[in-house]
Amino acid sequence: MASTIVAFELGGREVEVMVKPMTTLQSALRDQLGFTATKEGCRQGGCGSCTVLVNDEPMLSCLLPVEDVAGQRVTTLESLTPTQGLHPLQQAFLDANAFQCGYCTPGMTMLAQALLDHNPAPDRGDITQALTGNICRCTGYGPIVRAIEVAAQAMHAGEEGQPR
Amino acid sequence: MSPDLNVVGNSVGRSDGIGHVTGRTRYTADRSFPGMLHLKMVRSPLHHARIRGIDLSAAERVPGFVRALTARDVPHNCYTILGLIGVEPEEEFVLAEDRVRFKGEAIVAIVAETEAAALEAVSKVQLDLEELPAVFDVEEALEPGAPIVTHWGNNTFMFEGHPCRRVRLGDVEQAFQQADYIVEGVYNTSPIEHAPLETTGCIAVPEANGRYTVYTNTQALYFSLDNTAIILQVPGSQLHFVGGTVGGGFGGKVDVIVEPIATLAAMKTNRPVRYTYSRAEEMQVSSTRSAWRIYVKDGVTRDGHIIARKVTSYADSGAYSRQTPYALTKHAANAAGPYAIPNVAIDAYCVYTNRQPTSAMRGFGVTMASFALEVQMDKIAEKVGADPWTIRFINAYHDGDMKPHRKLVEDATLIETMQAAATRVGHELPDVFRSMTSAPRDAGHDGGRS
Amino acid sequence: MTVRSYFLPRSLPEAIGLLETHGPELLVMAGGTVAMPLINDGISLPGAVMGLRRAGLDTLEVAGGTLRIGAAATLTQLLAQPAVPMLREAARNTASWSIRNMGTVGGNLFTPPPGGDVAVALLALDAGVTLAGPRGERVLPLADFFTGFLSNQLAADELLVEIQVPIRSDPTLFIKFGRKHANTPAVVTVAMRLEWDGNVVADARIALGAVGPHPIRAREAERLVVGTSLSADTIAVAAAAAAQGCEPFTDAIATEWYRRRMTGLFVSRALEQLAQGAEGEGR
Repeated sequence: MASTIVAFELGGREVEVMVKPMTTLQSALRDQLGFTATKEGCRQGGCGSCTVLVNDEPMLSCLLPVEDVAGQRVTTLESLTPTQGLHPLQQAFLDANAFQCGYCTPGMTMLAQALLDHNPAPDRGDITQALTGNICRCTGYGPIVRAIEVAAQAMHAGEEGQPR
Repeated sequence: MSPDLNVVGNSVGRSDGIGHVTGRTRYTADRSFPGMLHLKMVRSPLHHARIRGIDLSAAERVPGFVRALTARDVPHNCYTILGLIGVEPEEEFVLAEDRVRFKGEAIVAIVAETEAAALEAVSKVQLDLEELPAVFDVEEALEPGAPIVTHWGNNTFMFEGHPCRRVRLGDVEQAFQQADYIVEGVYNTSPIEHAPLETTGCIAVPEANGRYTVYTNTQALYFSLDNTAIILQVPGSQLHFVGGTVGGGFGGKVDVIVEPIATLAAMKTNRPVRYTYSRAEEMQVSSTRSAWRIYVKDGVTRDGHIIARKVTSYADSGAYSRQTPYALTKHAANAAGPYAIPNVAIDAYCVYTNRQPTSAMRGFGVTMASFALEVQMDKIAEKVGADPWTIRFINAYHDGDMKPHRKLVEDATLIETMQAAATRVGHELPDVFRSMTSAPRDAGHDGGRS
Repeated sequence: MTVRSYFLPRSLPEAIGLLETHGPELLVMAGGTVAMPLINDGISLPGAVMGLRRAGLDTLEVAGGTLRIGAAATLTQLLAQPAVPMLREAARNTASWSIRNMGTVGGNLFTPPPGGDVAVALLALDAGVTLAGPRGERVLPLADFFTGFLSNQLAADELLVEIQVPIRSDPTLFIKFGRKHANTPAVVTVAMRLEWDGNVVADARIALGAVGPHPIRAREAERLVVGTSLSADTIAVAAAAAAQGCEPFTDAIATEWYRRRMTGLFVSRALEQLAQGAEGEGR
């Protein structure tokens, strides 16, 4: 049961982990690299709290052997956070109180980022459709959907160079 | 509004908000310690069984196995959840001794170098179980000859020597004779799992000074500490509990179940030990809100006044009572509803079955009574041919009314709440209800509340 | 989860070679959405696992009137293809975005009920499957692939490598009925395709999911609608036959009784919708 070294890109930098066979990406991130923003809610693919982006597509890190992302580009909430201040999604989640316990927030944010990458101006239906795999037990989702709408507008305005 | 108010009337940012949106909030499972071991539980595959033997030999051979803990290793092998607030008897074991009473009950704790090794060792523990008849229905559990779940010979929690919590006001049987209508209903609710997104868990860490630091997502930090100290028979000063960051609780994380065994494992191995529920454990082993069956019989006059209410409730406590007797007492105090009823009889039973134990969940005991009684109120309205608003306004209690458990009503707001609700949904109330208040009945029309 | 070896073959021959070397001890995993939860919780403890994500089995192409779907193509890829609308509908109604990015079309055929919604659509579309092993490839109709609950025609040394779907213009309908609007296990899934000859049904495929040990065809109902113009009476009789002939089960989602009732209801609704569609198109 020899360990192997797996290299991948994490938030713009090359990382290597030495893993037992079939260690999940979730475990490699949290237990080996200390990137604990990616949460562990079920390890069944049922809650979305471990959502990360692999080559900009949302995936569940609890279902992904880290060997499968060798050479791929992985993005977690840590790398979404800018050096100064907050990403528009983070700011919108904060302003809208789009969390209570906060445990779903990293997964929600990564999913929302993927949505806005695909669709910069999603309507409410697009947002709720995108979020169906991410469970929040506290908020009832309303403030999360509103935060994503606000962030979409802010990012759109930012791109067009309009005052925010 | 006073001009020196800083918070009231303002939106105040959450102190933990930045941590939550950047993912830097540290939840229990986000912590890691050098040499940390992982604890996984061998659980009963049967609903009810006698334990004839436990064979650990194959588990011990799994690479990474460190040690196993059984009932013999636990200094005081009883949960003290209710004992801490003076409710007896102790009836739940930390690790099962001779019998398991629900599917999923903890029998052997396995401590291993990795979670994978712990899971593999768990799968290799051989249990020799003799299956016993099980009971899953509250009323069947009270029938003669039912399988007995408890160790004291019947399937009810005993309230001061009685098999149920009893409340009596007036004489319901006589009032039923005088009533124009008898309206009866039976109401069932399902168990509900809190399903917090973060599962229950803790990490116990031995410190150089001989103390143990326990990082936990309990909702009841000092409850957890006291419970652990008693079970492990150590002074509370030897334990340092660190909590406060909880990834969803809703009442489900007041079970204080994981800390004692994790701390014991840390003591036995002198290494940090992590014990976190899997999602399946959270769903199948952690307490749920109880399932209830509630019988309501009301005596009602032709004009819709309820003159007698008899409620017989059964809370399915599951195999152990945890905080359900407490919930049941709250239930009994509220089982007549927010209504002024002169004759009331309430019998509320906390029944043991071979189901998953039950405990606290938001408004426990009262929420199910409200469900039953409000459906019942609609049935009464239908029976007497009045609209549901009228039935509630004319029966609503007022300040100063006597509740069935001999407490005077204070700060009643049912009438005002219904008035506000009517406004919100655009329902036009008749003047008589629009001008009603919850003020004491003898205090005149507006009761001096204005 | 003490997996001792994890293989990620880079080609089909390599994958078949690994399967031959390791035999039935080797757990084959495509998207991981079914196998990983079991492994994570220690319910499944395989010694060796082969992942198919890098084996080059993820292509989708249209050739000679057939949509050829690599077994490891994801449900997201299926959602993007324009050739077969019912497969888009089936993919859209399966799981969540992240799961669709991982779960595969081939894996869907191995997903125990009430999962496996895409397989129900494939069954209605007369899909074929290609199985490859050390002795070469064989193709069989999907209808003959399933043999029981979690069992099928795949030999221990074979891999499912491709699914072929004939591209037709027949009217189709896919209905998944669950407890929620999205990301939910099915109470019942109904996939239907009718071939019309004027205003008469010339041929019919009525496939059902979540009401049997695997996706099934409601053959008696199919027989009852062929040769008719789908009158209300025909629809009622066919729906009753579908309800009667299915083999539903009770789980946390629904009881056997409810699944059977809903099977009749949704087969009836699907036939009504297709009948109306036929009228609307002037057939």
